[in-house]
Amino acid sequence: MVPKGDLAAVLASLLPAPGSGGLVGADALRCARALGVDGVAVSVTVGSGLNELLWSTPGVSTQLEDLQFTLGEGPGPEVAASGTAVSVPDLVREPVDRWPVLLPEALALGIRAVFCLPLLAGSACLGTMTLQRARPGPLEEMPLADAWIVTHALTAALVQDAGQWAAFAAAEDGSDFYRAAVHQATGMISVQAGVSLAEALIRLRAHAFRHGRPLNEVAEDVVARRVHFRHDDGDGRAPLAGGGTEGP
Amino acid sequence: MTREERLLAAVIDAVDTLVDDFDLIDFLHMLCDRCLELLDVSAVGVMIEDPGGRLQLIAASDEHTRLLELFALQHDEGPCVECHRSGAARLNIDLTSPVQTSPFPVFAGRARKAGFVVSHALPMRLREAVIGALNLFDARPQNLSPADARVAQALADVATIAILQHRTLAHANQQRAQMHAALTSRILIEQAKGVLAERWNTGVDDAFDALRRHARSHQLGLTQLCRQLIEGQLDSEAIARP
Repeated sequence: MVPKGDLAAVLASLLPAPGSGGLVGADALRCARALGVDGVAVSVTVGSGLNELLWSTPGVSTQLEDLQFTLGEGPGPEVAASGTAVSVPDLVREPVDRWPVLLPEALALGIRAVFCLPLLAGSACLGTMTLQRARPGPLEEMPLADAWIVTHALTAALVQDAGQWAAFAAAEDGSDFYRAAVHQATGMISVQAGVSLAEALIRLRAHAFRHGRPLNEVAEDVVARRVHFRHDDGDGRAPLAGGGTEGP
Repeated sequence: MTREERLLAAVIDAVDTLVDDFDLIDFLHMLCDRCLELLDVSAVGVMIEDPGGRLQLIAASDEHTRLLELFALQHDEGPCVECHRSGAARLNIDLTSPVQTSPFPVFAGRARKAGFVVSHALPMRLREAVIGALNLFDARPQNLSPADARVAQALADVATIAILQHRTLAHANQQRAQMHAALTSRILIEQAKGVLAERWNTGVDDAFDALRRHARSHQLGLTQLCRQLIEGQLDSEAIARP
C-alpha cells in the first residue's frame, strides 16, 4: 500500500537513507507542492547570526536563503531569534523598513508571499522552515497545519539521531555542508587581508552583495583563487568596503 | 535520573496543564484527522503517560463512546501499553487472532465489538524517553505497508514534538547545544582549511588532508587542531605539508 497524498510521501521519505550524507531525505519540491507553495527551505541556526542551509528547492528558495545569510536580515533571521512564526502574505504591502535591503531583493526574485516557521524543540529554536510563493495571499488553514506537521517532523528527525551530527561535525566524507566554501573562503580572506575571521566573512558578504552575486559563487571563486582580498594598495578604502579584487 | 528520565518526568508533570492548552489540543485533533487521511485508517488516538504512570488519551479522531472506551481500557492492557513499555512499534495487530491478542484479551474483544479488526501502536519517543503512543484502528483487514509505517512513525514524532514544544526543557536546550557544537565544529574545520590553503598556496582538499593527518598522528581532535590553528596557538609550519 502506497501512502496517500503528497504529504504522506514527504513524511515517508523525510529521514535520509543511511550513508547518504544528507540530514533530510525527502524531495523538497514535492514538499513545496504538498504545501501549495512554490518553494521551501530549511536552515538550522548556529548562533552568532550564522546558519546552515540543510534542505531546499533549487532556485528562488535557495536564493532567498542565500540573500538572508548575506544580508543578515529577513524572516529567517527574525524567526530564528524569536522562535515565533512570521507570515508575510504580501511583500508589496510590507513596510519597507522592516527589511530595507532584503524586501526589494526578494521582490526582484519574484517572491510575493513568505511564511517562515520555527523548528522548535521545547523552547529551543533549532532553525527555520521558509515557504515562498509568487502569488500573494495568506497560507490557508490546511496547508498551514500541514506545514507545522512538516516542521515538527523535521525537528524530530534532527534531534533523534546524534550520530549523524557527529559525522557532520568531523567533516566525514560525504557529509554535505552547503556553506563549506563560504567558511573556507573566510579562512583564506582572513590570511589574505590580515583580518579576523568575523571581518573576513563581512568582507565576503559585502563583496557578494555589491556585485549582486550569490555568496556561494563568490566563495567558490575565492577558493579557486579567481577572486582575492589581498592587502589593499593603500587607496584608503574603509576596511568594511575593502577587498575583493577580480583575477589573480 | 538520566536525561531521558528527567525529560519524561517533565512531560508527565505537564499532562494536567497540557489538556488545558487549547492550541496544542486543537493541533493534536487536527493531527489525528490528518492521520486518518494519510494512512487510510478508521480511528486514531494520541495517548500520553500521566503522573500515575498510566496512559491517558489527549486527542482522538472522534469522540464516540466505543472508541473512547478502547483508549480508557489501555490504562491496564492493550497495544499502547506494550508499545509504551517497550518503546517499539506494534504494527498490524490482527484483533481477530487469539494468538496475537493473548496479552490483551479484554481490549481485543471490545475493539472487535466496536467494529475494528486491525490495530497499530507507535511509540511517541524522543531518543530514549517514551512519552506515550499513537494508536491506530482499522475496520478493514488491511496492513500498513513499510512506507505507511514510516509515515505513521513520523506523525507520532510530530505529536511528540508538538507536546514537548509546550514545555521549557533544559533537555531541548542541550540538544540545540549539541547541534550548535556540531555546526560550529564544522565551520571551524572549513575555515582552517581556507587559512592553511592560503598560507601554503595549495587547494583546500590538500589542506584538509594535512590537517587530518596531523590530528591523527598527534592524537588531537580535528576540531581542537583547527581551533588552535585559527587562534594562532599552532604555527602552520608545525604541520607536515602534503
